[in-house]
Amino acid sequence: MIYDIIIIGGGPAGAAAGVYSARKKLKTLVITDNFGGQSLVSDSIENWIGVKKMTGLEFAKMLEEHVRAHEDVEIKMPERAVSVKEAENGYEISTDKNNIYQSKALIVTSGGRRRRLGVPGEDKFGGRGVSYCSTCDAPVFRNKPVAVIGGGNAGLEVVIDLMPYASKIYLISNKELLTGDPSIQEEIKKSDKTSVIINADIQEILGDKFVSGLKYFDKNDNQIKELKVGGVFVEIGSVPNSEFVKVLVKKNQAGEIIVDHKTGATSQPGIFAAGDVTDEIYKQNSISAGDGVTALLSAYNYLLNIKKQSPALTEATEGKPAKRNF
Amino acid sequence: MAKVTIYITPTCVYCKMTKEFFKKHNIAYEEKDVSVDDKAREEMAAKSGQLGVPVVDIDGKIIAGFDKEAIKELLKL
Repeated sequence: MIYDIIIIGGGPAGAAAGVYSARKKLKTLVITDNFGGQSLVSDSIENWIGVKKMTGLEFAKMLEEHVRAHEDVEIKMPERAVSVKEAENGYEISTDKNNIYQSKALIVTSGGRRRRLGVPGEDKFGGRGVSYCSTCDAPVFRNKPVAVIGGGNAGLEVVIDLMPYASKIYLISNKELLTGDPSIQEEIKKSDKTSVIINADIQEILGDKFVSGLKYFDKNDNQIKELKVGGVFVEIGSVPNSEFVKVLVKKNQAGEIIVDHKTGATSQPGIFAAGDVTDEIYKQNSISAGDGVTALLSAYNYLLNIKKQSPALTEATEGKPAKRNF
Repeated sequence: MAKVTIYITPTCVYCKMTKEFFKKHNIAYEEKDVSVDDKAREEMAAKSGQLGVPVVDIDGKIIAGFDKEAIKELLKL
């Protein structure tokens, strides 16, 4: 069984590609962990065009229902692609469930995931004081001092989430200043619960059974300092889920798949990509959905072209069966 | 029938997904909201060693996070 299109990922880019693929009557498979992408855990999405406000879960269900409305689209979930290689008629995808699927074209919409600090203690105390989800876990830290790592908007928003609960909030950035919106910065600085620490590199997360503190290098005076905190929220950006494509497509230094922004084409014919896994500048749900459509339509044209080319291939092999059999 | 307790916060998506999963499979459960219930929060941390939600307790066996496969196994679904 060879699919026309395999879509990897179920965020807005993958769901949009899935819906358009069904409308083009392509034999389609979607492989994904879940629907909704990184917004799944969002408390409130207010910038999806056409919907004033919804939760991440509502968004996820909306995407899933729209894809599932097309019964011809097959969905493997939860399942994760672990590698891609070239096959005779296109590409072959291996998954964490030890399945192998083949398709003529591929759309990579595997999104991003949260960047980790990469310091000792981070893994050990995951779920034991280190959290990447303030909407989930903020109330668990009632009356405890906590640290939020990252001075961008995401970090500032976590501070806001924690305000009703935590006894003290240290907002820590490795930069010289906070980069998040000035309006949220002002709101945060008004509270006597918060203190901002800049020019600080986190070195270690400390604790026994749970987190009890952290160690950081203060670049202002070149000293290693410790803070006593019961929780550490990490908000230092995201990394693209592009590892499974390995060297097949060109990526930039950040690991983002480089695409032609007119078409969603990657450096590898037949592989298209969209959304946060690519070098798209603006990581936004609405943009990812549009990019997903672009990638799918380009993949559709690609499939039409290889179909046209196949008779020529047959001629060239003088009556022998065509190598590419579409 | 297994005794099922779930520790949640109101804004946690994975908590909602876990509860929906229980409802879909007609599993009765007790819900403890750790954002308002101090005792439940301490109980959760002591039982599970976790400071994150959801935590699911099925007859004393602890599952951290929404782990469908683990829940299915314990409830023999």
